[in-house]
Amino acid sequence: MSKVQDAATSAALTTAVLQAPSRHPSKHLRAWLETGLGTSLLQFVAVAVFFLCWEVATELGWLSEFLMGKPSGIWARFVSSLMDGSLLINTGYTLWEAVLGFVIGTALGTVMGLSLWYSKWVEQLVGPFIAAINSVPKIALAPIVLLWFGTGLLSKVVLVVSMTAIVALIAAHQAAKDADKDLQALMFSMGGNKHQIFFGVVVPASLPAILATFRINVGFGLVGAVVGEFISSKYGLGNMIYTASSLFELNTVWVGLFMLMLVGFILYHAIDALERVALPWRTDGGRPHLQM
Amino acid sequence: MPAIPIQQPQIQLRIQDVQKSFQSKSGPVHVLDGLTFDVHEQDFVSIIGPSGCGKSTIFNVIAGLLQADSGSLIYRGEPVKSLRGRIGYMMQKDLLFPWRTVLDNVLLGLKVRGVDMKEATDTAREYLSTFGLSGFEKSYPQTLSGGMRQRVALIRTLVMDPDILLLDEPFSALDYQTRLYLESVLLEAVETFKKTVILVTHDIDEAVALSKRVVALSGRPTKVKGVHSIDIERSTPVEARAHKNFSEYFNLLCSELDIQTKKPGVHA
Repeated sequence: MSKVQDAATSAALTTAVLQAPSRHPSKHLRAWLETGLGTSLLQFVAVAVFFLCWEVATELGWLSEFLMGKPSGIWARFVSSLMDGSLLINTGYTLWEAVLGFVIGTALGTVMGLSLWYSKWVEQLVGPFIAAINSVPKIALAPIVLLWFGTGLLSKVVLVVSMTAIVALIAAHQAAKDADKDLQALMFSMGGNKHQIFFGVVVPASLPAILATFRINVGFGLVGAVVGEFISSKYGLGNMIYTASSLFELNTVWVGLFMLMLVGFILYHAIDALERVALPWRTDGGRPHLQM
Repeated sequence: MPAIPIQQPQIQLRIQDVQKSFQSKSGPVHVLDGLTFDVHEQDFVSIIGPSGCGKSTIFNVIAGLLQADSGSLIYRGEPVKSLRGRIGYMMQKDLLFPWRTVLDNVLLGLKVRGVDMKEATDTAREYLSTFGLSGFEKSYPQTLSGGMRQRVALIRTLVMDPDILLLDEPFSALDYQTRLYLESVLLEAVETFKKTVILVTHDIDEAVALSKRVVALSGRPTKVKGVHSIDIERSTPVEARAHKNFSEYFNLLCSELDIQTKKPGVHA
């Protein structure tokens, strides 16, 4: 009898232990790390450890400071270039080239791509040319563009335009073709003309796809600006990186690279914000989130 | 006792000998084979037929989305190309514009027509409140239930004040309760605004419950098999379903369609 009781008690104990895993400290830690603050902290720690390892490794001579640079040196260079104003000027130049080229190129491409919806004939006429132009890596145009448009701002903007316009054109063209036919039919049956259908259905229906290409194009904007600066320029982060690397000033190169990273990051989030403002109807509408 | 004048129904729209074929990879497909039927003023006509018989094609011809190969549409005595701009079109899909709010969706047809927006907005708000949707004016369609969305689509159709409502299986995607409710909403609205309705449905039950007349079509190539007047006094579709003649009409139409569904088997 007592043996049975003992067995029952131990079984109950086992169950109790099994049912209390949340008291386990590692579970607590895991839950805390998955909060917003915990995630940020973990990210920060990862970056700090990375730089610390780098610093220590160069200090101990495992890594060559000459070829790799050194976090403390990068920081010093960052502060000094910030103080003398050169960093901000260079960043400003590159940002301006990228944004200006992106806006012009994307707008141009989007308008052209959407307007191809208007005429089947024009679409067929220019279709092969679009494909041909798209198949050329636009970065290969950089030397000619520099030759034609000089070493200043204009050549970089033209380069960025050439890279972004075709992407925007193809995306907008495809989006316009994919615009909901039933909505177009409805508008037509209401008596809507071609313009009304274009602005009432085709353009708004294409917006999500068009905005999605903004993300890609903002990246291309930076690529075009930096490559243009590599080839020939007086200012810009590309200029800064290229000049410094030919002088083996690795710390300066890193400052330029980190600034590019920061600029790209900011631009990406700017597009995010734009998307939220431009597409307010794209909400989850109270649907449950699928968690996997 | 004064003689009661026999009211001869006025013909609003006559579909006359409409032919339509489509090109497919395996040659032309003859869909409409000389379709002829009338729609009276303030009529409620249901078109039923086996699936694929071209019910939606008729609608597309009337709406001007497709050109008939031959035949004519005669509207109040005048031959017309189509009734584009004069009809309200409603489909199984609610076809609400996801980027427009409920109010803007309702106003769509009026905007296309270019009427005074201030007045139109007032009318639209009135309709929305009549149909129990006030408070949702600024919501996006995505946030509404299927029944609510279809109600918005119905308001969008009615607010244009169209001559004829073309309803292409408008309720077939909804659950039965919502469907009954929207059927009664529709019937009430049609009575109130004195509208003519052409309803395409695969649902014989719905056709009998709602219609004054039912046009039964044959399989492809499609001809009119028969036109039946539904003599049921009704105020709601639920009431109509309880009417003593309901099952009689139901069986009549069923047998008419059944013959058609067996037909290809006989020939094969």
